[in-house]
Amino acid sequence: MLNLKHVIMGTAAAALMMASGQAKAEWPEKAIEFIIPFGGGADVEGRMIAKAMSDVLGQPVVPVSKIGGGGAIAYTHVKNSKPDGYTVAWNSTSILTTTNIGNVPFDYTALDHIGQVAQQPVPFVVSAKARWNTLKEFMAECKAKPNTLKIAFAGFGSATHMAGVALTNAMGCKPIMLPVKGADRRKMILSGETDAAVDIFFVPLKMVKAGKSKFLAISSGKRNPAAPNVPTAKELGVDMEFDLFRGLSVAKGTPQAIKDKLEAAMIKAAASKKFSGRMKKLKITLAPMGQKAFAAKLKKANANIVSIMKKAGMYQAKAKK
Amino acid sequence: MSPDVLEGFFQATQANTIFAVAAGCLVGLIVGMIPGLTISTGIIIVLPLTFVLEPEISIALLLGLYVSGMTGGSFSAILLNIPGTPSASATALDGNPMAKRGEAGRALGIAITASFVGGLFSFLCLFLISPLLAEVALQFQSPDLFSLMLFGLTIICSFAAKSLVKGLLAAVIGLAIVTIGQDPMMGTQRFTFGQINLTAGIHFLTALIGLFAIPQLVDNFASLGKAASDDGNAAKIKSVLPKLADLKLMRLPISIGSPIGSFLGILPGAGGPIAAFISYDYTRKLSKNPEEFGKGSTQGIAAPEAANNAVTGGALIPMMTLGIPGDPVTAILIAALLIHGLVPGPLLFIENGEFAYGVIFSFFWANIFNIIIALIGLRFLVKVLVIPRTLLMPSIAILCVIGSYALRNNFFDVYVMFGFGMLGLAMRWLDMPVVPLLLAMVLGRQIEEHLRVSLIASKNDITVFFTSPFSLFFLCLAAASVFWSFWAEHKTKQKQKQQI
Repeated sequence: MLNLKHVIMGTAAAALMMASGQAKAEWPEKAIEFIIPFGGGADVEGRMIAKAMSDVLGQPVVPVSKIGGGGAIAYTHVKNSKPDGYTVAWNSTSILTTTNIGNVPFDYTALDHIGQVAQQPVPFVVSAKARWNTLKEFMAECKAKPNTLKIAFAGFGSATHMAGVALTNAMGCKPIMLPVKGADRRKMILSGETDAAVDIFFVPLKMVKAGKSKFLAISSGKRNPAAPNVPTAKELGVDMEFDLFRGLSVAKGTPQAIKDKLEAAMIKAAASKKFSGRMKKLKITLAPMGQKAFAAKLKKANANIVSIMKKAGMYQAKAKK
Repeated sequence: MSPDVLEGFFQATQANTIFAVAAGCLVGLIVGMIPGLTISTGIIIVLPLTFVLEPEISIALLLGLYVSGMTGGSFSAILLNIPGTPSASATALDGNPMAKRGEAGRALGIAITASFVGGLFSFLCLFLISPLLAEVALQFQSPDLFSLMLFGLTIICSFAAKSLVKGLLAAVIGLAIVTIGQDPMMGTQRFTFGQINLTAGIHFLTALIGLFAIPQLVDNFASLGKAASDDGNAAKIKSVLPKLADLKLMRLPISIGSPIGSFLGILPGAGGPIAAFISYDYTRKLSKNPEEFGKGSTQGIAAPEAANNAVTGGALIPMMTLGIPGDPVTAILIAALLIHGLVPGPLLFIENGEFAYGVIFSFFWANIFNIIIALIGLRFLVKVLVIPRTLLMPSIAILCVIGSYALRNNFFDVYVMFGFGMLGLAMRWLDMPVVPLLLAMVLGRQIEEHLRVSLIASKNDITVFFTSPFSLFFLCLAAASVFWSFWAEHKTKQKQKQQI
């Protein structure tokens, strides 16, 4: 999605550079391309953090959306870009799913990762009128009658799919899994076409608050303050911890000094009043995290996803070992 | 009344939204007026802008363009006897004779007023029917939606083409193109041949720019030498405000044209040109002085103009409530909403109620600004008719490239756009309509998803499409629309044979 602004700013930046007689200025000396791999929530949040980062860095951080292939196009673009810190990817859990399901010929380590900005749990949603009041009740019925209850998720290999597969596997339930895009999932809960759905947190939260649907469990390790009465899967005795995260990645080999600057700018932008206010309003948990902590998190999450995928027979990593 | 209605009204009445509507109206009047530029081309011009603007503002801009484009088309129909848009063809029948009598101003005034009332009537339909229809549509399940969209496609084919077979063929090509890219359910790559650029599929707007703009540019290039002349009609414009006697005469055509236009607007594929001619025919039959028709009758101008503007509000009804576009413009509106992550459909009224009503009220403002700008600016606007094509067409060619690039910031899409331009030329040569192809591209993904979800949920039991009453009803309609157009085609062929 364009950017006329991008073109204008880019030209302006180039002109400025020439005017300064090619003096070796400090990074960043021109506009930074901020690649967003998805529409919807990722796009909304991505544009907000890009704006906040422009304020911190003093250079335009221009959101550019490159949608497709479950993030494959965006990640490939950033992987192949010059490692100079001027092309940044707005990553998400998709960097672990799209790389393990065989969409791209590399794994998540083909990029350098700056850190995490926010995370949200993946909830298990049913209609407010549904006969199940706890996850146990649902799973018990599902176990007793295999291949009858329907659970909708976002699409094969997506974060909601991973969470759904992990949850049902752990509880020994065999549902009919329906791959359904965004808004339709909420509609199918209301019309009763599906019995349950695995969704991203903040969008169906509106429906829960309106009394039209209810959460039976969330996937993260801790309860969420926006829905404090909803138990975590762990509390219910399911050994799983799964978050949908978003953060920044750059091309491999970007100089450490630039990565440190990006990390600092990202954390400062995330803490800015405007950005944190919006996140609070959307009920997304702000959880800024630097390179080291994020690397550890990615390693753990990747192992988790690989094991879920292997169990479900979806693992097809094409990365060259 | 739900609080969303009020919030929507305020959203549509903010200064920047209103400004966007007015700007859209101005652009719409101009592109509508210039023969060779359709409303779709106008939208292509402002498309890159809509990617950067807020969703409510870009929709306001596009709605202004849509409404005013319909009105602007009548200006050149009246002054030059060349309809600026296909929807204004019927207006030329009486508009141009009246202008030749030296009453160009009167003819334009009638056209503008009739457009306004027709548009306002369709706003009322949109405002009253949409929430109710959304409520019903909320109960539709995947099999129902599959059948509904199948019906949408068949009726588009039967309206769009003289030959149903060619229409259906175009739709099938569109459906085939949609399968390129990632499988929507499993994420498998289809027909991408290892091309990373193809994994995201072919964007509908890229195809649209190529299919509509390129053949039009080629046409304009071919007719460069033939400059249009208005016989000095524009210079003779005096007062454009319609007289009381004219207003009285307009009551009949407007009360016929508005409901016809709104109704045909709701049906996918019918659109402005058909509504305008049907309204013109009925008005002539019911008029007290049918002999004046074709010689510059007031009623003959008002009837098609009321109808083609009433189509706009009607076409927005299925777009807003079902996510089904009725014509290229509403298809673009859907795409513009999707770019901003807003999915048109019944859920829009629940989850983003204030936005849904905001769109409806922006449509209201579009009608208001349409009449204001048209009446005040008419004398300046008609000067556009003399802009040399040699300046206009290259600018549009550039905008096509920018538009297709900016969509995803990918130069590959520009080549795809040119490819579709070639396809558009070939289809025109084969006398195949492009609209079914485009709408098939918009609906294709959803048709596939609903079909597959229905089958997964029913464990591959195909009878679900016949046991749900909604689904059965839509399938019957789909079958009826196919048979009806075969029968109609057969009849016209027989008539032609008899004449020989």
